[in-house]
Amino acid sequence: MTTTGHSIGKAVPRPDAFAKVTGRAQYSSDITLPRMTHAALVRSTSSHGRITNIDTAQAEAVAGVVCVVTGRDMAELGVVDRHYGLTVLDQPILSDDLVRYSGEAVAAVVAETAQIAGEAATLVEVSVDPIEPMLTVDQALEGATLVHPERESAGSDGANIAAYYEFADGDVEAALAGAHYVHEAVFRFPMVAHYAMEPHCCIAAWNGTDLDVIAGTQQPFKVRSDLARMFGLQQNQVRVRVPYVGGGYGGKLLSKYEPLTVALAWKAKRPVKLLLSADESFRTISRHGSVVTMRTGVDADGNIVARDTRVILDTGAYADKGPGVAKKAAYRAKGPYDIPHFRSVAMAVYTNKVPAGAFRGYSTPQVVWAGESAINEIADHLGIDPLQYRRDHLLERGGDFMPSDTPMDADLVGGLQLAADGVRWAVPAPEGRGKGLATGVKDGGGGPSRAEAEVRLLADGSAEVLTGTSEIGQGAHAVYTQIVAEELRCDPARVTPRLPDTATSPFDHGTEASRSTVLVGNAVRKAAMSVADQLGEMVERLLGTRRDFVIEEHRLVFDDGSDAVLAELMARDRNLPVTHEFELGPIVSLSYHDTLVSGKAPLGTPSNFYEVGHGAAEVDVDRETGRVELIRYTSVADVGKALNPQTCAAQDEGAAIMAIGHTFFEEMVFENGELLNGNLAEYRLPLAADLPREGMGVELLENEDGPGPYGAKGAGEAGIISMAPAVAEAVYQACGVRIHDLPLNPQRVWRALNEATTQPGPD
Amino acid sequence: MLGKDDRIEITVTVNGESQVVDVASSDLLIDVLREQLHLTGTKRSCDLQICGTCTVLVDGKAVSSCTTLAVETENREVRTVEGLADGETLHPLQQAFIDEFASQCGFCTPGFLMTAFALLDEVSRPTPEEVHRYLEGNVCRCGSYTNILNAIERAQPTTER
Ligand code: FES
Ligand code: FES
Repeated sequence: MTTTGHSIGKAVPRPDAFAKVTGRAQYSSDITLPRMTHAALVRSTSSHGRITNIDTAQAEAVAGVVCVVTGRDMAELGVVDRHYGLTVLDQPILSDDLVRYSGEAVAAVVAETAQIAGEAATLVEVSVDPIEPMLTVDQALEGATLVHPERESAGSDGANIAAYYEFADGDVEAALAGAHYVHEAVFRFPMVAHYAMEPHCCIAAWNGTDLDVIAGTQQPFKVRSDLARMFGLQQNQVRVRVPYVGGGYGGKLLSKYEPLTVALAWKAKRPVKLLLSADESFRTISRHGSVVTMRTGVDADGNIVARDTRVILDTGAYADKGPGVAKKAAYRAKGPYDIPHFRSVAMAVYTNKVPAGAFRGYSTPQVVWAGESAINEIADHLGIDPLQYRRDHLLERGGDFMPSDTPMDADLVGGLQLAADGVRWAVPAPEGRGKGLATGVKDGGGGPSRAEAEVRLLADGSAEVLTGTSEIGQGAHAVYTQIVAEELRCDPARVTPRLPDTATSPFDHGTEASRSTVLVGNAVRKAAMSVADQLGEMVERLLGTRRDFVIEEHRLVFDDGSDAVLAELMARDRNLPVTHEFELGPIVSLSYHDTLVSGKAPLGTPSNFYEVGHGAAEVDVDRETGRVELIRYTSVADVGKALNPQTCAAQDEGAAIMAIGHTFFEEMVFENGELLNGNLAEYRLPLAADLPREGMGVELLENEDGPGPYGAKGAGEAGIISMAPAVAEAVYQACGVRIHDLPLNPQRVWRALNEATTQPGPD
Repeated sequence: MLGKDDRIEITVTVNGESQVVDVASSDLLIDVLREQLHLTGTKRSCDLQICGTCTVLVDGKAVSSCTTLAVETENREVRTVEGLADGETLHPLQQAFIDEFASQCGFCTPGFLMTAFALLDEVSRPTPEEVHRYLEGNVCRCGSYTNILNAIERAQPTTER
């Protein structure tokens, strides 16, 4: 099936597939260390208050309990800095003064078994003097109380602002005042849960003065650096290993429970495993709920002259990735149109709720929900087909996504046309049905970062590829083996990817922002090319002439059909007896790829590429119940080059299926700050039956125009961006109601239909 | 009636091997499999019999091991994902999951495999509706559904009983 030396773009089975279908794949939650203890957390039932006392006596008395830890123990445990985060280090290992959300961990019990720990945790009594909780962003901005009283608000628009960003060009107010038509609306996006199937898990063990951590994290080197800083260690004293991860989607970025588990292991003087329940992961991190107020002005010819956007993101009780999410919300709000006058403001606002962080697409789904809904409504107002309107106004290749950033690297109109074709755009929808589409663009690859990779060709012709990429399901390791196989001209099945271990893996920033294939992939390719070069030079030294060859098992097969055993060549070249094959060692290369830096780029780092997701939907609306059924959906991802097309398509389809959740039914519901539906009985996730009736269409646009290996761009987020606005437009086309709040659940659609029929419409 | 902490020895056949395990009457099957028998292929997620990631077969029927008491399996046959392959020879469903790229993070894979096994055992050529109904109790957050459905389809002609 796979031709040697031609593995790129082929249906190469994933290297992790065998382990995953046999149940042998090890995840953090599967691992047990000798003498290991188990931790259970005590979580606050109060949304906001001052801790007056934590009574641990009863829990400590339980047979099998090793220790109980609270925030007061941190100094004694030698914690140098108890706070962590991205840019705002506001999250304590365990708080010893304020509780800031219902569900926040305030104490931990370590015991011989998870069951004992869990039972003892229920005996810990936490006394809290309540403080008025800030339950909505509006309340928080007014600021009757402060979630982090020690911090200044980051913006002048109100209190409790964790981070504030603004990008602007031209004179937006004047342009709006002079516009022929101004579309204005407020769009709401719900707070939703990542629900990675494997809850957060961490195992920590102190070996003398060194620290060994096994965690389901997307960012092992960030965790290493946090742990070194917080516990006063050198980085080389901290080892973080990442087995297979049962889903991430952004929810396992930064440090989560690793610092706490390390503190527990210190106190217990034994290895500690902290494995959350799914309900606890619900109370750990989420996607920012948001309110986007947007005004878009067009001239008499329909050209967009101005866009003013204000994004308020509910970042919950701790900033986590909120500052980054806010920055990118402001950056991406203008959208993929040439708009001379714009102002985009975004802020992450603290509330007394579950923290919000990175989630597939970052803030792009939130701002595209607003921006593309607005474009659909403007086209409608002007009486122009929304596909035609975008044909006329979408950025062309080479246009400015943002001033002074990388020029647009994609054929947006061509991609959108593919999506439209998927739902047979030109054919009018039957009665009761409607069609809609949208285009979403995010700058891809993340901010400044380094990616490294090591490739080793072993004397038996097999190879290893080492990176710091966590295998969270995305398939990056499949792609790396294919890149190595392509460059070494060998069978990808003979290349083994190694999972991250900070003690041995080359450095990587982390598994996020669709950066792995492009940035780490470039490093892998460079390393593989260098190994291939070294091999070629060796052949030239030994045979006196440069020859083309492929690697077949343990032999080199030359272009004239002759062959040679690799180990024999290496032995001759290295002056070792061939009988000592194991002495030969590998042919090895370590390479790196750094992101570009440009003083002119608004973000400091020009966009590595643009991640483009187009979506087109056909829906059926049941006017009696308000139920919207997805009949067809086509997601088009502009991936430059699909290195493993099946894995790439699966990622994009998975993203689109995730979007079914926030588009139709997912929403974390709070009452007085308490999460009401933080479990799978009450929080519904997309199922197989939720696939569009006629199937999910995924098209990969491959123009080989990306900066990654073989022209690849990043993938895996595009599919989540455009569904909501495409579906909302389809709903409007089907039944005439405009809805600006997600999810489009039956109650909401039914109510909108009812309001539309009871109120006299405009005529 | 046993109290929740009373311990009892039960005999249960797991993947064809008879095992004697010492369990508390409140112990869940998933914990006995994962912790006592070290069969960690069976995964835990929701704890509520909803996500299906902990699905195993008890006497050939798919059940959620997170809500099944270990004592209920006394003298019965339990089959887990580790018991699907015949040595290193994969079951056709497993091979189909590989060929159709049906695993991404793979955490849901064991549960889907066991559910699909029970389905094909019951109905050798299920209609799409029957497949959807069977899969209502299995969640794949990575959204691999299309590939999983294709894998189940691909495995059909040769699925052995
Ligand atoms: S863990 Fe058993 S059904 Fe979810
Ligand atoms: S493959 Fe990740 S949950 Fe199914």
